[in-house]
Amino acid sequence: MKLIRREWTPAEADEWAREDWLAILLSPLAYIGLAVGVALAMLLIPIGFVILAIAIILIILMHWVIDPKLKLISTEYEKKQKQYLESLEKTIRWEDAEWTKD
Amino acid sequence: MVQFALLDWIWIILFLLLMIGCGVLFYRLGKRSESDFFLAGRGLPWWLPASSVYATHTAVDTPMWVAGVIYKHGLAGIWYAFFSAWCAISAFVSTRIFRRSLAFTQAEWQSLRFTGLGSELLRGWMTGWQVFMTMFNMGWVGIAMGRICQYLFGWPTWVGLVVFSSICAIYVLTAGYWGVVMADFQQGIVAFSAILIVSIWGVITAGGPQGIVNGLAELGQSWRLNPFHFTGWLSGDFPLAWFITMMVIALIGGFGMGTSIDWYLEAQRIQSARTVRDASYSIWWGTALVIIRNSLWAAAILGFFVMFPNLTEAREYEMGWFRLGFDYLPVGMLGFFFAAILAIHLSTVSSVLNLGAMYVTRDLYHHYINTEAPQEKLVWIGRLATVIILLGSFILGLMMEEITKWLIFALWIMAAGVWLPNILQVIWWRFNAWGYLSAWMANLGLSWLVVWILPAFHVIPPLPDYLQFWALMVLTSLIYLPVTFLTKPEDMGHLVKYYVMSRPIGFWGPVRREAERRGLMGSMEPPQQPGS
Repeated sequence: MKLIRREWTPAEADEWAREDWLAILLSPLAYIGLAVGVALAMLLIPIGFVILAIAIILIILMHWVIDPKLKLISTEYEKKQKQYLESLEKTIRWEDAEWTKD
Repeated sequence: MVQFALLDWIWIILFLLLMIGCGVLFYRLGKRSESDFFLAGRGLPWWLPASSVYATHTAVDTPMWVAGVIYKHGLAGIWYAFFSAWCAISAFVSTRIFRRSLAFTQAEWQSLRFTGLGSELLRGWMTGWQVFMTMFNMGWVGIAMGRICQYLFGWPTWVGLVVFSSICAIYVLTAGYWGVVMADFQQGIVAFSAILIVSIWGVITAGGPQGIVNGLAELGQSWRLNPFHFTGWLSGDFPLAWFITMMVIALIGGFGMGTSIDWYLEAQRIQSARTVRDASYSIWWGTALVIIRNSLWAAAILGFFVMFPNLTEAREYEMGWFRLGFDYLPVGMLGFFFAAILAIHLSTVSSVLNLGAMYVTRDLYHHYINTEAPQEKLVWIGRLATVIILLGSFILGLMMEEITKWLIFALWIMAAGVWLPNILQVIWWRFNAWGYLSAWMANLGLSWLVVWILPAFHVIPPLPDYLQFWALMVLTSLIYLPVTFLTKPEDMGHLVKYYVMSRPIGFWGPVRREAERRGLMGSMEPPQQPGS
């Protein structure tokens, strides 16, 4: 089993998986790296460039991990969006959608 | 006062024509439907709402505020501006969940997540609160623009407030969110370019990067280059406990909706993205630009500190970045800089204006007054609401001196005690509308007690803000948790519908099992409705 999964079925992509948690972890680290790295690099302090480089690597890694899953979630969801929008319009008119009932 | 050359005025006039031109250009798209007027038809690629996220959150008072904290705390001050990092986790959690709900507004989401009277009370409360907040935000940034114009041209403050917000209203009225987002894209480019140019220019003026580092060393202030320079665990004006609290609020807040005041604006951008993936990336990259922007400002303000190390009045050093631009940019560039300030201002005002109008139209008019309103009428109601919000912002802006300190307190009230409920409503199926409503009510009372009344009577010592946050979080939970458990869960059918659409993260076991029992999991496909 691969450490990072990059191929999903639509049903699997819909579940919250390890790859989501990895993106959740990498994303704040990348922001912290950007904040510190850009400020120090602007002042040509060498550690700033190192931190900035790490932040960029984290961003690339984050996208590599999460993008296949996000793509599939989006593709599958958009197929059904029209029906969901109709349901939303019923809600604003105080009508409950029927499709979830027994 | 600053003298503008002819070239400066040309920059400004061209820029304003470009902005208003946007309104005319996208008029036909904006008037098509409610969805177009407020969400650009939910069809935008990620980079358009991303630029809008960035442009909207760069207001005229932002560089003043960032300059203030950097001048005071050195590079460690960037963490004061790090609250926008709630998008780090939100981009992959609450953004995804909210986009899948398809709710126009956070108030509408409340009635998808909750049900019955409680949900309608929440929707009404959220709508009223957001309409007021949009007027307040516009008044706030409008009066800041008035003060900049007073500094530059000697105009009375109301002139800068009224003139530029009114210019902005032209393209918001004409094209709605289409005009807002297209103008934001241009404004974002202009504003980021100006921030980059002025900040680099400021660094060079202060002696270059090495000159700043050496200058700080000569002043005995090298600690200002350390972004993790804390004054102790709990002591001083920058303790580690504050930093940890800030990180928790900002980052963990990304699991919830409404944990940051910016959420309500971002929610509109999330729904305007064409897919879930576009929504996630728009929020993530827009905020990345905000964080980079803060760091550019920070470097320039360190340069300003080296040039003017002895300023003690906040109103002097908070103008640091503007002074680097207006006092040191060459002739002919002043107009570009002022056009960039206009970009910064108009992008915020236009977004907030359209957001307030959306709450009035969608959550008040469409849901409570005229549920069968045709699309054309809804667009006109949106325009009428835009005018009302604009006029309200003028009134609040001109009252700002008197009400600001009370409203800052009101913002604090909104943030502290409902921070955790804002997360619970997303991640826990059993949390219901009554629990959430009681959290708001409890927080209102407890905030007064913890922040003002108990310290005034010496029952408790005055607490630093980060301890107030933790105290309010715990105390409020003593009320909303019992209320939640003593009242019924939301209707299971309603929760199942929400779950299948949104697939929320967290503790949703019983709802998921019920959805599986009904055969609604796996395919995501709603069964055909009877008779369809």
